[in-house]
Amino acid sequence: MTRFTKMAVAAVVAGIAATSALAQELYTPNLAYRTGPFAATGIPLMNGQADYFTMLNARDGGIGGVPVNAEECETGYSTEKGVECYEKTKDRSIVTQPWSTGITLQVLPKTNVDEIPILAPGYGFSPMMDGETFQWAFNIPAGYWDAADMIIQYLEEQGDLEGKKIAFLHLDHPFGKEPLPVLEMHAENKGFELVPIPVGLKEMQNQSAQWLQIRRERPDYVVMWGWGAMNAGAITEAVKTKFPMENFLGVWWAGHDADLKIVGEDGKGYKSISWSFPNPDAPVMQDIQTHVVEPGLTQSNPEEMAGVFYSRGIIISAILGEGIRVAQEEFDTAEISPSQLRWGLENINMTEERIAELGLDGMVPPFQTSCSDHTGNSGGWMLEWDGEKFVKASELMTANVEGYADIVSAKADEYAEANQPWAVNEDCES
Amino acid sequence: MLYRTAGQFKTSYRADQALFPVRQDAFLLGVILVLAWVVFPLVATEFAFQTLLIPVLIYSLAALGLNILTGYAGQLSLGTAAFMGVGAYACYKLITLMPWMNPIIAILLSGVFSAGVGVAFGIPSLRIKGFYLAIATLAAQFFLVWLFEKWSWLYNDNASGAIQVPNLEMFGVYIAGPQASSTIQYYVVLFIVCLLTWMCINLTRGTLGRTWKATRDMDIAAELIGINLMKSKLTAFAISSYIVGVSGALFVFMWRGAAEPNLFDIPLSFRILFIAIIGGLGSIMGNYLGAILIVGLPVVLNLLPNALGIPIDSATVEHLNIMIVGSLIIFFLIVEPHGLAQLWRLIREKLILWPFPH
Repeated sequence: MTRFTKMAVAAVVAGIAATSALAQELYTPNLAYRTGPFAATGIPLMNGQADYFTMLNARDGGIGGVPVNAEECETGYSTEKGVECYEKTKDRSIVTQPWSTGITLQVLPKTNVDEIPILAPGYGFSPMMDGETFQWAFNIPAGYWDAADMIIQYLEEQGDLEGKKIAFLHLDHPFGKEPLPVLEMHAENKGFELVPIPVGLKEMQNQSAQWLQIRRERPDYVVMWGWGAMNAGAITEAVKTKFPMENFLGVWWAGHDADLKIVGEDGKGYKSISWSFPNPDAPVMQDIQTHVVEPGLTQSNPEEMAGVFYSRGIIISAILGEGIRVAQEEFDTAEISPSQLRWGLENINMTEERIAELGLDGMVPPFQTSCSDHTGNSGGWMLEWDGEKFVKASELMTANVEGYADIVSAKADEYAEANQPWAVNEDCES
Repeated sequence: MLYRTAGQFKTSYRADQALFPVRQDAFLLGVILVLAWVVFPLVATEFAFQTLLIPVLIYSLAALGLNILTGYAGQLSLGTAAFMGVGAYACYKLITLMPWMNPIIAILLSGVFSAGVGVAFGIPSLRIKGFYLAIATLAAQFFLVWLFEKWSWLYNDNASGAIQVPNLEMFGVYIAGPQASSTIQYYVVLFIVCLLTWMCINLTRGTLGRTWKATRDMDIAAELIGINLMKSKLTAFAISSYIVGVSGALFVFMWRGAAEPNLFDIPLSFRILFIAIIGGLGSIMGNYLGAILIVGLPVVLNLLPNALGIPIDSATVEHLNIMIVGSLIIFFLIVEPHGLAQLWRLIREKLILWPFPH
């Protein structure tokens, strides 16, 4: 058996040697989904991500002088394809971007063995915030529990929640169930009634049963954790049943411009929490215009580029780029290794000045990560649909992380316990 | 010439009833087994294990289970994925409730649960046939997936509603979970698949297999010659579901590492049904050929443009892939409606006569 392992190791080493002999590059594959049932929401995100790195390569010759190879591996949002892509890219990649809660769940335990950082911006498993336990996983700049907390904060500003009723319309899937622990905690503390209404994957486009239930329950607010076709389904159904749109709020993945354009004026007042915001006047957008759009290197179009999701793609790539730059400076090497990138992602300090330097003015709130905090908890803005586009409806809000820090560490410990032996980062001081 | 059977005399009943009466068949099987047991593990990369070897074997096993029911006993089923799910969740519960249990025993035991569920959903087959039975098994498909979602005891009340495979040790080596090496997992899968295939080949040539075939070909005639239809159909459901359940446990424990309920939804059932149909209903080998075509080929096609140095978008490759695999399926079904196994059967017959056809 040992001989087999030796030979396998030899083959891997040979493979690495062969590939590293090629041109210098930073290989950051993206497990994209431009096909399949979620393609409509995937394409703007992928375009934003790709365009940012294309711009960096054209403008600065990459990061630290080394071009970024942000190759896409198509998954069609299928877990099986995602694992295939992960296996295909992991020998050379310095980061993995799984792009679906299903793929994240599969890849998360593997990255801990393969020692590759996993970057899941704004999705994935909320307890990933605990950097001690999840030393290779990052959900920068905010997790679902932050989103749930900020939505409740926003609702509280509108009036006391005591005795109110909040319907929680969610996809019946690991993604949709994520915020339940925090929402339940708030329901208990603040004395409102939480009515979870699951939407099955097969019912995404036809939610008449769920909205009938909403009409019967007469909730004060509807909070939605939706994705893909579910969002458009819910929004059109809400318009049809004349639910007051200003009492309808969603997570950041439920704030896609195209879903709201279907209803246009009728969707006015719909809100979505977000840690990214499209700013067409930001310098980065001008650079993308000159270096990517004009030479015809983009797959996007002006309408899409003005949307929330395209700019979110840019932010995601910018966070990764910043992590790479921090690592390059610390280790004084342009071609960083996966573990060096981990250090980089743990030491991002996105101050207002840094955001302005990167040309991302007003597109992302400031945040800072650390060894023990792999999320950064940037907070976000409540966006509101004004009939044509999303506008900011609130000042920058921040999640009250202390409120659910206990749940984070409890869930992280639970995960580590169930996956023994699970390597944790002992050097971290929390 | 290569496949000449002349001169191979059978001098005893034993020799005549051997698993492979033709020497060349046995030799070919030997070559395949050597490839699978020795050569592949030596040369395969991690990628090949995870995307080609292990999934092809697991899908073949699932198709084999379905083939027992649909190909041999003639009972159309659309609930394969749900029965796989029963196996996977049963294995998860066995492992988490009794962590001391040997993982291979747990995997083999989990099939018993899906066999039980399979028999329960097979009872309507005594009264209804054909497409109507397919609808009844479709009910199993929907009901069981719904149950996997709603019954939180099944996934130990995890907040995410998904099951996650823990690291499982056997004789000091990890055989499941993220710490396990692909080579070990491959050997575990290969061992179980070989064992069950060998069992199935023998079952289908024995009394039970013959009663199944009689039931499939004409159930009234079968009843008239004294075959107990209830026994025949329910054993087919039990054994088929057992194999499917084991393949489901392997699917999650030896390959995926985690599973959410909708993994076991109807697309998986169809995929396995297609493997069985394209491979050839009523054949054992066909399942392997079908799985190679449907599971293995797209992975290889995905690698081609890169290997040839053609710069092409990954999304375009995916679209092309779907088109190529789709047209290949149509092509094979036009050339040989009875599946790839029949194609091989014809080739073999021609080879036996070659170079002097009649």
